Amino acid sequence: MTVDEMDLVRQLKDDAPLRAEAYERAWTTLRAAMAESGPGPVPVPEMTAAPGAAPARRRRFSLAGRRRGIGTLGKVGIGTGIGVAAAAVAVALVATSTPQSAAPGSTTPAGSAAQAPAADSPLVSLAALIRSNGGSLPGNASLVIRTQAETGVPVQVSYNLYADNGAFYGGGDKTSLREAVNRHQNMADGIDAREVAAARYAASGNLAAARERMIDATPNSWGLGLSPAQQQAIWNKSISKLRAKFEANGIKSLPKRPTGKALQYDLDNNVWNNSVDALSAGAGNPQVRVGVLRLLSTIPEVTVAHSRTAGQPTLTLTAGPALFGGTDEVLTINAKTGMPIKSVMHGHGDVPSSVDTYRVIRVTLADIKAGKF
Amino acid sequence: MASDAELIGRSLAGDEQAFMEVIYRHEVAVGAYLARRAGREAAEDLLGEVWVAAFESRKTYDRSFPEARPWLYGVALNRLRHYWRSRPAEDLVPDVTSLANGWDPWPAVDARVDTQAVLLTALAKLKPEEREVLTLVAWEDLTVADAARVLGMPAGTGRRLLHQARMALRNAPEVAALLTELNSVKESQ
Repeated sequence: MTVDEMDLVRQLKDDAPLRAEAYERAWTTLRAAMAESGPGPVPVPEMTAAPGAAPARRRRFSLAGRRRGIGTLGKVGIGTGIGVAAAAVAVALVATSTPQSAAPGSTTPAGSAAQAPAADSPLVSLAALIRSNGGSLPGNASLVIRTQAETGVPVQVSYNLYADNGAFYGGGDKTSLREAVNRHQNMADGIDAREVAAARYAASGNLAAARERMIDATPNSWGLGLSPAQQQAIWNKSISKLRAKFEANGIKSLPKRPTGKALQYDLDNNVWNNSVDALSAGAGNPQVRVGVLRLLSTIPEVTVAHSRTAGQPTLTLTAGPALFGGTDEVLTINAKTGMPIKSVMHGHGDVPSSVDTYRVIRVTLADIKAGKF
Repeated sequence: MASDAELIGRSLAGDEQAFMEVIYRHEVAVGAYLARRAGREAAEDLLGEVWVAAFESRKTYDRSFPEARPWLYGVALNRLRHYWRSRPAEDLVPDVTSLANGWDPWPAVDARVDTQAVLLTALAKLKPEEREVLTLVAWEDLTVADAARVLGMPAGTGRRLLHQARMALRNAPEVAALLTELNSVKESQ
């Protein structure tokens, strides 16, 4: 093939990318300009620490989703101070209320000193890398094949199919998954869609607002964005419904709404759980992965280490014990794509250790229906 | 998926996140465009200014064009012109974009690598607008029509400028010799 002058000019092209923090800085500049030109993001107040905060750990949904009867083994975080039984009740507590929308002038406790990502975080760098690679993967659905090994329980494999249109199908093997798709047994409950939407927003949106969206993707009693009085009222209403359960567990003193650091841990716990769910449900969308990485970079208790898994470069994210009441959770993702590879929850108290491994494949619904996978 | 034009329309109706979505789609390309013309450090400083300028001028966006990237390049080019005018000559890095109305730092380029030197010298002799069309097509993978859109000129003018630029390069003795050498080596392999 003959080389011409255009080929020579193309050879001069320099592809040195900008640093990840440059994109963050540019967004900050833009948001400041937007705020000056009209209604902008709600300012995030500093949160004050309060003594006597009671922890409220909610159930840790596993990466392959909170799907019922698809081989999902529940994981329960431990609530310190009020014991396992109380924690289980507290878990129910935060899952009983409907998220409230923000009111003008309200507080936004989902934000914190951690709302801005650490510019030098490997998570932010990976987000920039995924961005620069651009594009989306082929197919119209992500098949997540999950293998779960938990102490004392036979290994379970589940086939979870997250369609880009929001539908979800599950099966214990290829055959049952194919049947579920052919019978249109869509099990989507809207939570995945909200989590994925929050992650997509986080890819380029205000992170404090994105955190709030991600937390509110699942029902909770935080009342984010509302006034302190409104938040307390929601908490009181929720906890009063559970009074009988607390009493049945021998707990006479009902948990108070957490404040300060304890509240921050609980909110970060929610951000972690829901973001990791979004990573599974939206793994096929680079924008979702970018958003999840940005969200996780806001959690101070998450540490990141470079690692290798089965020969490939990976990042190991450890959510520290502050988020899970004494234990920790380790998520391993591909260092170049952000795709989830493995999740490990270390045992603590009555909660056994569990190791989940994931294989994410982009597929088409048509191929699944035809059994071509 | 909503087009850039639709998102810009939404942002004009008050949906700021819609504009952020547009930025998300093109930030890597626009960042690279700036870096190729002003160096990475300056590009990182300029990127935020480009987004603000784009946001403030989004009312002028012609929504008959679904994709906003050429428009964003145009906004970036305007910021680059401001940048070049505000910098002392010795601070300028090699670039190929200053247009007829702006300061042209190209002759100051210190070309050190042989092939690059030949090309850079030849590029330096092009008219700024010819150079801009040429590099928008060669480096940013734009069509000639989109390159013309960046520069705010008719597509036909863009095609003429690209043709002139290519002819000028091809006929430059050093480039002609380089092409002859490269193609003869290929033929002998």
